[in-house]
Amino acid sequence: MLSESRGGRVFQYLFVLVVAISLNFFLPRMMPGNPLALLAGVDVGLMTQEDRDKVMAEAGLDRPLIEQYASYWGDLLRGDFGYSYRQKEPIANLVLARLPWSLFLAGSSLVLAAIVGIAAGAYSAWKRASVIDVGLLWSMITINSMPSFWLGMLLIAIVSVRLGWLPSFGAETPAAGYEGLDRVIDIGRHAILPVLTLTVLTIPAVYLTMRYTMLSVLGSDFIRTARAKGAGETRVLFAHAMRNSMAPVVTILALRLGFAFGGTVIIETVYSYPGLGRLMFEAVGGRDFPVMQAGFLLITIAVLASNLLADFLYPFLDPRTKGQ
Amino acid sequence: MKKSYLFMLLLVGLLLLAACQPEEVQVEVTRVVTETITEEMEVTRIVEGEVVTESVEVTRIVEVEVVPEVPEEPTSLRMAIHGTENSLNPYTYRTGYPGWNMLLLEYDTLLQLDADGVPQPWLASNMELSEDGLTITFDLRDDVTWHDGEPFTAEDVKFTVEYYQTHEHGRWTRNSQPIESVETDGDYKVIFHMAAGSPGYELQLAETPIIPQHIWEGVEDPDTHEFEANIGTGPYKLTETVLDQFYVMEANENYFAGKPAVDKLVFVQFADDSGSLAAIRTNAVDMIVRRASPEQITILGAVEGIDVAQGPEFATDMVNYDVERFPFNNKTVRQAMNLAIDRQDLVDTVYLGAASPGSAGWIHPASPMYNEAVVTTYDPDAAMALLEEAGITDSDGDGIRELDGQPLSFEFLAVSTEALRLREAELVSEMLGKIGIEAVVTAVETSTWEEAVWPGFDVTQGRNYEMSMWGWSAPVQANPLRMWQLLHSSPDTGFLNLTGFANERADELSETLTTAIDPAVQKETLAELQEITADDLPFILLLYPDGAYAYWSSVYDGWTFMAGQGVFNKLSFIPEEARP
Repeated sequence: MLSESRGGRVFQYLFVLVVAISLNFFLPRMMPGNPLALLAGVDVGLMTQEDRDKVMAEAGLDRPLIEQYASYWGDLLRGDFGYSYRQKEPIANLVLARLPWSLFLAGSSLVLAAIVGIAAGAYSAWKRASVIDVGLLWSMITINSMPSFWLGMLLIAIVSVRLGWLPSFGAETPAAGYEGLDRVIDIGRHAILPVLTLTVLTIPAVYLTMRYTMLSVLGSDFIRTARAKGAGETRVLFAHAMRNSMAPVVTILALRLGFAFGGTVIIETVYSYPGLGRLMFEAVGGRDFPVMQAGFLLITIAVLASNLLADFLYPFLDPRTKGQ
Repeated sequence: MKKSYLFMLLLVGLLLLAACQPEEVQVEVTRVVTETITEEMEVTRIVEGEVVTESVEVTRIVEVEVVPEVPEEPTSLRMAIHGTENSLNPYTYRTGYPGWNMLLLEYDTLLQLDADGVPQPWLASNMELSEDGLTITFDLRDDVTWHDGEPFTAEDVKFTVEYYQTHEHGRWTRNSQPIESVETDGDYKVIFHMAAGSPGYELQLAETPIIPQHIWEGVEDPDTHEFEANIGTGPYKLTETVLDQFYVMEANENYFAGKPAVDKLVFVQFADDSGSLAAIRTNAVDMIVRRASPEQITILGAVEGIDVAQGPEFATDMVNYDVERFPFNNKTVRQAMNLAIDRQDLVDTVYLGAASPGSAGWIHPASPMYNEAVVTTYDPDAAMALLEEAGITDSDGDGIRELDGQPLSFEFLAVSTEALRLREAELVSEMLGKIGIEAVVTAVETSTWEEAVWPGFDVTQGRNYEMSMWGWSAPVQANPLRMWQLLHSSPDTGFLNLTGFANERADELSETLTTAIDPAVQKETLAELQEITADDLPFILLLYPDGAYAYWSSVYDGWTFMAGQGVFNKLSFIPEEARP
């Protein structure tokens, strides 16, 4: 991959995108289960056969699969993401309303996890085999094994229910009509627990990668050379060791960014946060095909874009790979 | 390390800052004001030796303390719901519960169910049925206005019926089908000409919302049309919607039955139960609309300030099977299974007592149509005797009986996310195991389960299952006259017959029920239908779960438990004197 031209690489990504979009279209339709409940709303059993046929026809579900596929591509290229059966809303509206919340959660937690993970990983490697290093290592491995929903529910039970410090659900206090600074504070209060949960769960991966990379870097010749040249420990740590360990870590972070779209579904469910992940989850349960498709498409594009980003960033972080 | 310490400090600081909020202090000032009062007093004096009483005008200057009027805080109630209801109009609301209940806060119906579940006059002040049952005349109230101020008239009712008949909706169109034509006589009288007698039609009238002609006229596609607002005649008006987060409804001050008890209703949408339970415990919401599960009843009840309203309900948990498939096509097998299930044990173990054991005849024991002669017993010995007599024995000693060489072993479906029904399935499987029948419990996802038992929600598409847990919501049981929907062998009439049940006598009786207006005939027919159901077993009804609803009594205490249907209904918000 790295040995191909830029154009070649982009073409590869486009090809993957096309395959992903096609899979995206066919897979949900192969699931058992019928979207009729969503289309008709309540009491489907009370409709006559003609009525059911009419409803399915209106949603285009009675046409042959190939036709549906073709018109799906046509719509996509025109930017028409369709209409949600469940919400009776254009999907673009739905997604635009929810996307900012997911990005907010994922983005904040990624930044915080990066800071803490990199710092802790570097420190651990620097003070290898010390009590702190071993302690951190074991804590990180333990945290890494925690189920996200369990940690979320635990935090709610302790911080929200028992201590009453923070709200347990939602992005804002419902129908409170806060404006300006009050609203910012309200959103902030509601975001603390979900962001905390996500951050805590993301740190271990960053930490472990950083630590491992730093350890191998610290053992290399140029570090010995730098010390021999009289560089102070601080300079060795920051300018030489850490800087050269960044590449894999940044790669991981860039890839994680792609999962911001929908990867936060569990946290959003536990905290009833109105993000994209929850939208997807409910669409899958209710066989809301257009929303599922739009959502998976977004995730695909995001993951591919973040891969591309990581690919492009790498030469800057590790000049040894430049020009290949 | 320095970086992370600094960061931790910052985070803690932010946390503390966020948790402490300045309290608003309200200061009341009492003013002193002088008033001049002139009044007439009677004075008794002695004038020239005589006692005289006369009226005299006296002027006094008085100091009065005026306590400033603190404007009353509008009362507000936050309720937890668990799924979206879209734009909450008659064509877009989603669920039978709580969607339909929320809908009926915005809109009214011609008749309204009272606390006993009996339809009473509402928008229609009077309803008269002709002798042959083919003409219904309604007198309408003349003091009702739509939320936008327009008067409610007979034209709206006529429009509503015709609209539902021409714009497909699963529930309202079916409810309006029996009406052949509608006539108005002046502004406040409307006449329905029925195609045929429709017994129990009051219940359908009590479900169907009336929509305003001046808003809905010309709306071609009600599913996608964007209305500016939902205009109804109901006690509440939907004022704010943030999809998947909350709905806000505000009281209609001009409601004909009086100003609603609560000024503002906020419906907060949760993604799952644990969220709403945490929220009610911290009083971040005041009530949970969904039924509380049995273990939650005790936990929530123990929280000081939270009350749990409980009562029997008409929802059902039952066992369905495909009667055209082996071994359910054998009546003895069905009867043996029915005898082998200990319903009381299910009530005690799974529901912790918060349920009533089911009647094998379908109709709830609290219903006036219940046939007391129908017997539902637990007798595993009798079950085994039945099977032995019929020659269904365990010939190879593996614990499973055989019929015609085939072992009585099959798949028993349950929904993986419905913990209570899944547990019931496991217990039932154990009970059947004791009499030599093997039911293998298989947990599947909701949509998969629906496709297996009720593919396309259309009984003409057949069945893809052997045995499965099932249940119907309260309204199906609430109208006992609709038992034929569950039993009739023809798909058009028996559109809720998910087991493929076909019994000639049951079909005859069902047909009688569809047109019988005489209550005595209805009762007799239903009594026999219950006997047939208990004997021929189109399904096995396990139990009726109780309704249990948690709420903060200090915030609002006006909840009314509607028989079989719970506390979240229109009655709970209407001033007590005006409740039907």
